[in-house]
Amino acid sequence: MSLYNFKKIMVVPPATSFIDIMLSRTQRKTPTVVHKHYKISRIRAFYMRKVKYTQQNFHDRLSQIIQDFPKLDDIHPFYADLINVLFEKDHYKLALGQLNMARHLIDNVAKEYVRLLKYGDSLYRCKQLKKAALGRMATIIKRQKDNLAYLETVRQHLSRLPTIDPYTRTIILTGFPNVGKSSFMNKITRAEVEVQPYAFTTKSLFVGHTDYKYLRWQVIDTPGLLDRSLEDRNVIEMQAITALAHLRACVLYIMDISENCGHTLEEQVHLYESIKPLFANKPLMIVINKVDIIKLDELDEARRNVLANILNDENVPVIQMSTVSEEGVMEAKTEACERLLGFRVDHKMKTKKVENILNRLHVAMPEKRDTKERPAFIPESVMQKREIDAAIRQKRKLEKDIEEEEGDDYILDLKKHYVTIPEEERYDIIPEFLDGHNIADYIDPDIFEKLEELEREEGMRLENGFYDPPKLNIDETLQEIRDMARQIRTKRFILRDNKKLAPKADKPKIPRHKLPHIRERKVENLKNTMEELGVDMSGKDDANFVKSQMSLRRGIAPAIGGSIQKKKDKESSAIVKSTGQPLKRKAPKHELGLSNVITKKKAQVMAKHDIAKKLKKMCLKGEADRFIGDLKPKHLFSGKRGSGKTDRR
Amino acid sequence: MPQNEYMERHRKLYGRRLDYEERQRKKEARAPKKRAKMARELRGMKAKLFQKQRRNEKIQMKRKIQAHEEKKVKKQAEKVEDGALPTYLLDRGIQSSAKVLSNMIKQKRKEKTGKWDVPIPKVRAQSDAEVFKVLRSGKTKRKAWKRMVTKVTYVGENFTRKPPKYERFIRPMALRFNKAHVTHPELKATFYLPIIGVKKNPNSAMYTSLGVITKGTVIEVNISELGLVTQTGKVVWGKYAQVTNNPENDGCINAILLV
Repeated sequence: MSLYNFKKIMVVPPATSFIDIMLSRTQRKTPTVVHKHYKISRIRAFYMRKVKYTQQNFHDRLSQIIQDFPKLDDIHPFYADLINVLFEKDHYKLALGQLNMARHLIDNVAKEYVRLLKYGDSLYRCKQLKKAALGRMATIIKRQKDNLAYLETVRQHLSRLPTIDPYTRTIILTGFPNVGKSSFMNKITRAEVEVQPYAFTTKSLFVGHTDYKYLRWQVIDTPGLLDRSLEDRNVIEMQAITALAHLRACVLYIMDISENCGHTLEEQVHLYESIKPLFANKPLMIVINKVDIIKLDELDEARRNVLANILNDENVPVIQMSTVSEEGVMEAKTEACERLLGFRVDHKMKTKKVENILNRLHVAMPEKRDTKERPAFIPESVMQKREIDAAIRQKRKLEKDIEEEEGDDYILDLKKHYVTIPEEERYDIIPEFLDGHNIADYIDPDIFEKLEELEREEGMRLENGFYDPPKLNIDETLQEIRDMARQIRTKRFILRDNKKLAPKADKPKIPRHKLPHIRERKVENLKNTMEELGVDMSGKDDANFVKSQMSLRRGIAPAIGGSIQKKKDKESSAIVKSTGQPLKRKAPKHELGLSNVITKKKAQVMAKHDIAKKLKKMCLKGEADRFIGDLKPKHLFSGKRGSGKTDRR
Repeated sequence: MPQNEYMERHRKLYGRRLDYEERQRKKEARAPKKRAKMARELRGMKAKLFQKQRRNEKIQMKRKIQAHEEKKVKKQAEKVEDGALPTYLLDRGIQSSAKVLSNMIKQKRKEKTGKWDVPIPKVRAQSDAEVFKVLRSGKTKRKAWKRMVTKVTYVGENFTRKPPKYERFIRPMALRFNKAHVTHPELKATFYLPIIGVKKNPNSAMYTSLGVITKGTVIEVNISELGLVTQTGKVVWGKYAQVTNNPENDGCINAILLV
């Protein structure tokens, strides 16, 4: 991963939306309800919180912006210079500095207004102060409108810069416009730089990667340079100059020998000479491109003289290539990589670090003592065994060999290895079932004997009482307990069965027209039941089993002796025991307050009509029908409740 | 790895989607509907922001339209002809001159009214209860003779507080201001000037002596920064100004220079 990644810088919002973001966040994240009857300290705290929260947000966001943008003094000089070329260092620094200032101002405003809020004596005053504070903060940001806009463009541009690692193995391509730098780049990397037959197609730095000796090589394609002084150069050219000046890389100066690019050889040589200071202390190569049009040897004398100076330089190798016919391209790349690698190793050797490694590293290369042969000792037996193995291996014919011999006629025959079976039976087909028996079951010839053996063993076990339950010694008390348990069990079964047999209790237990079953309570009965349960009741004759009395609450006994008749009037068949008079019940609700029969009838008719009307309206089956057609009507349960009513959407 | 202007490059190489134009057109056509929907459905803070922005947009639009329409109309500037005018044409010129005259009269009247014709002639009365807060003192907090000023005050530089036993009025540090935003009505410019003193608080003489600054208070400001000169050639450095806002609510003093 490269050190410099400018893609992570957060978006810089324009001033207006910056303010909106901050204020709406305050609105969202701080409490919103306050009343004037609250304690004044609470009101003050409420507004102070708003002011402080807003300030903190502004502060954080501005700090984020200031931190995100790279500091020109801290980054690699290549990037610092590139940023200077592209965005102007002064402007950049000024913008960031002003944001810093704005942050400071906002902090001050908040401090000042919080101090004033401490003396706020009413909700109105506190609110006004808060409003003034937020307004002043917003104004400060509004003044930074241009800076924010500028920084946003810078951010966008920065994020699109190619990720160039200034420390890794790098090859830089340079030369006049349109000499074939980008074509070369496309040939050796997968960068897909745009290639067009006009000058300045490449307007900025491009990065591609290539492999050589299992290492990753960074190739930088630069915009073309024109032969002019540094001051005259435009932004596009300056990018190339920056790359050349700051990156320790192998430089490939590409020349167009055919002069197709529109610049003569003299000009190209002159440019080479003029930017030579940039190549100092770097491996340098000259690549002569477009030799498919004209070869170096085919040049006329005058042109060759121009090149003579370059060609004669021993330190700078010259390579011919053509990106169209692809001749010499790979050679150029290999040569460049080799030179850079050698250069880097040399450079490393000069540093102090290398000694540490070299001290630890030692490859022993022993020399021969004399001419005497000293072969490894192998015992005789092992040698023999090896020979035999080899012979066997040779002798045995493999299926593969047979297949090769026979060719298309070969059929894989595995049955021939069943040597224990006589040859005429060897190829018989074995059915899965025979006479309704599974053949597989009879694979074992003595299966029946084994079965018999097993059964015999089992019989012996049975005889010896292997499976008998262990005997228990039961003494008298245990026997008693067991008997009791049995009794309880049987009784419980009987009770359960009785309950099952009894009619289902859907209906009321006692129908109105039947006499209620009143449990008889007699001393005799009690005695019997208790005795049945096994309680000793002898000698309890004079015990005080008093006749129980019915409580008044339950004091309704059926009128004994009267024939069972249907209840017709409001006097029930029951008689109050305490008074001996028939029980008077209240009239049913629908008859209450109606004096005579006529009104009663009238009321009945009216009720009937009313009920019928309601039933018809609601489509109900009867009076008791409580059906509600739609429990969750769609229009009341879909979508959000707005600020209107609950039953509207 | 996309680098540099990769989006433009892609567009150059492969072009836009085939329905790009169509989509753009539709998007544009749908924009008003979308906006209307937003206007209908937004609520709360967002609605307020939206409406404000929309209102501004509309104002700009109308202005633009007006500007265009004005360009079309040829302005027929009427030439005042020399020589005698018929009576029925006389009143035009007269009318305009009359306007000027009335303006002049007004101006004169203004000057006549004297020195204390201030921009804010009427001031809301401030009761003591509003301006002072009672501070309870003593061991059992029974005594209530101390007062704290709850309005913005101006306190001179060499002011030292009395010992607490004798200090009746407390002017909190947080509410002490010594600079004001003063607007020069003729220059139409505002300066941030130091205050020299409180000339008059119309509510009460006591407020004046305490240096309480409320709306309508006349303060003296140091205008040496402005470089105004008297008729005799001396540099004016103190001038009066009237406070036009409620400093205790706004956290700053705005004043208008009395010239």
